[in-house]
Amino acid sequence: MAMEYFAGVTDALRLTFVQVMIMANLSIGIFIIGMYINIKKWGMGSTGYGQAPSKSILAFPKMLMYQMSEHAHVHNQSVLETFILDILFQRRILRRSPLRWFMHFTIFVGWMVLFVMSLMMFLVEMIHMVGEKAGIHSFPEFMNPEIFREILSVPNDIFSYILLVGIIIAIYRRLFVAKTREATIAYDSVLLIGLTVITISGFVADGIRTGRFWGFEMPIEWAPPMALFHVIISLLFCIAYIPFSKYIHMIAIPLALLANKGGE
Amino acid sequence: MAKREPSINTENFTAVQLMELDSCSRCGECVDWCPTYDASGKNPGLAPRDKILRWREYMNKSYGLRAKLFGPKEIPEEEIEQFKNDVYGCTTCGMCATVCESAINTVELWESMRANLVKRGNGPYGKQGAFLKLIGEYKNPYMADNKDRTNWFPSDIKIEDKAEVLYFGGCTAELRQRKLALATARVLNKLGIKFTMLGEDEICCGSALIRTGQYYINDIAKINAQKNIDNIKAKGAKIVLYACAGCYRASKIDWPRLTGKELPFKVVHITEFLQDLIEQDKIKWEKSINKKVTYHDPCHLGRHVGVFEPPRAVLEAIPGIEFIEMERIEENQRCCGAGGGVKAGIPDLALGVASTRVEDALATSADILSSACPFCKRNLSDGRDAIGAKELEVEDVIVLTAEAMGIDLSDTPAE
Ligand code: HEM
Ligand code: SF4
Ligand code: SF4
Repeated sequence: MAMEYFAGVTDALRLTFVQVMIMANLSIGIFIIGMYINIKKWGMGSTGYGQAPSKSILAFPKMLMYQMSEHAHVHNQSVLETFILDILFQRRILRRSPLRWFMHFTIFVGWMVLFVMSLMMFLVEMIHMVGEKAGIHSFPEFMNPEIFREILSVPNDIFSYILLVGIIIAIYRRLFVAKTREATIAYDSVLLIGLTVITISGFVADGIRTGRFWGFEMPIEWAPPMALFHVIISLLFCIAYIPFSKYIHMIAIPLALLANKGGE
Repeated sequence: MAKREPSINTENFTAVQLMELDSCSRCGECVDWCPTYDASGKNPGLAPRDKILRWREYMNKSYGLRAKLFGPKEIPEEEIEQFKNDVYGCTTCGMCATVCESAINTVELWESMRANLVKRGNGPYGKQGAFLKLIGEYKNPYMADNKDRTNWFPSDIKIEDKAEVLYFGGCTAELRQRKLALATARVLNKLGIKFTMLGEDEICCGSALIRTGQYYINDIAKINAQKNIDNIKAKGAKIVLYACAGCYRASKIDWPRLTGKELPFKVVHITEFLQDLIEQDKIKWEKSINKKVTYHDPCHLGRHVGVFEPPRAVLEAIPGIEFIEMERIEENQRCCGAGGGVKAGIPDLALGVASTRVEDALATSADILSSACPFCKRNLSDGRDAIGAKELEVEDVIVLTAEAMGIDLSDTPAE
């Protein structure tokens, strides 16, 4: 998938950088507002069984802490076990279906690693920009955005394909497995369609720039707008949209696993 | 213009439960395993996933972003009434919680939805509405004189006035499935275990009220739990024995939660107690039961609390028994269909689930389908009769234990 590259190119692209900065801040802002609304909504509940709704923003964290500290009757596993085996390794999915686990694990790992690498790339760009402005030139060599992008390029390709594999399985299931198809509602499909568009646009932007397969021989001048498109929908979809969509599961499921000590 | 009030409220939900509504990844595992959904002919409304989806949508219509900006969206009353019917079509068996990929504590969620809807004026369902009055008035849901709990015991039964061990019989065994209560008492007597009972001071454990969402009305479940706890303490008991999975679960999990205090005694299921004695070689078997026996895990004993092994250990210790497992056992067990108020509220559904479970047992070619709960026994017997499987005997582990210890139960009085 395309890493974003704004420094060291042209003035036109520096303008893009400003646009991306604005979009990034906007996305984070929408995410924060959305999470505030969610936590407020969850906080409409009580802080104990059979108690009156508290309607306080603190109700959710309080109840979560209470449940995590309570003794569980069936499973009483540690937070560490829950974190590693249930959240990172997702063994509850594995127990139910190895294929779905494989599908999800590839999506999860692909997405997480690309997300973190994009964030790192972004930070390197930022440091470089600020450094240039302040006249600091003594950064280690790998902190040069051009070089950093090269370092990331192979892992970037690998994890993009891992993500793609998961997405293809998920799409296949949603289209061709009758039971899954019949149960699919917009809540499910929007998530998958969005993720597909982001992944494909990433491949295409990268392909145009490098002139490889995914570029479909599109002219090189299309690379920057394609990259911009990819970045902007990624920001909107993968950050801003989380609190308002099925994406919320990547926050809510780990919290449910923690609250219920890995579940029944 | 004043903003419209939301159609639903969040009474009886904890903050974590409201979050859990957003945790459902719609994987569909719960739908594949739900016994009532299956027995209803796959009525889409009963699917656990669908219940979560609908309440999540109610929450978003009432408290989500759009509701914040433009005011809450109205939910038609018929829709909520339908939702109520669906949420009561559940035995609280907990299978959905066991398979949930998101680890949602679904049973608690269904119970909160029910309590919320009772408070809102929609619940409970059908005959369940009588529980409250009956338990308030008679201290049991069967409209029986509370004196009849133990006054029918034949004269050979020795019950101490005070003892370290107390047998909490429960309404169903004392008033309806008396063979089970008699078997428990005679087994304890024969083993020389001095025990006491609450007799007419015993009050319904509250399971029927809690499972159907009526526990908080007039605080009745809490008050009754506290009275039972106080009475048990007054008897000097340190260990309380249960031969009913419903009472066992209510005492172990619900009483401390209702009263907000740890229990001043140990809650022990009779099979756990017997397993211990078997390991110490303290049980003398006098008869052998030369039959093939399979065992049905009661939801409230197994999945809810994690007691899987002790009843099996007891069965395997009984001479002559050839023990065989059904396909779905322990945490994957299929519910008998009686729990969660379904037997009282939607008897046909209870029967449908029971029939499927009886078929599971028939598939093993067992002679006896055993369980460790009077409620399971009752409903599985009904299921057996419904499908006409006359050759299958349905019996409780404690009754089989009594038989193998050479105890005669033929003098059990009718209800
Ligand atoms: C942190 C922990 C996470 C957990 C525990 C988790 C759990 C789950 C579960 C249980 C499912 C349902 C799978 C099934 O249908 O069997 C699911 C679906 C999905 N998850 Fe996650 N998830 C996590 C993070 C993420 C992340 C980071 C992404 C990134 C995009 C993601 C993307 C998806 C997608 C796209 C689906 C839907 C698949 C489909 O449509 O069939 N998840 N998740
Ligand atoms: S608790 Fe049992 S009956 Fe109720 S929804 Fe879950 S699986 Fe179905
Ligand atoms: S098993 Fe859990 S996550 Fe899956 S659909 Fe059912 S409630 Fe949702």
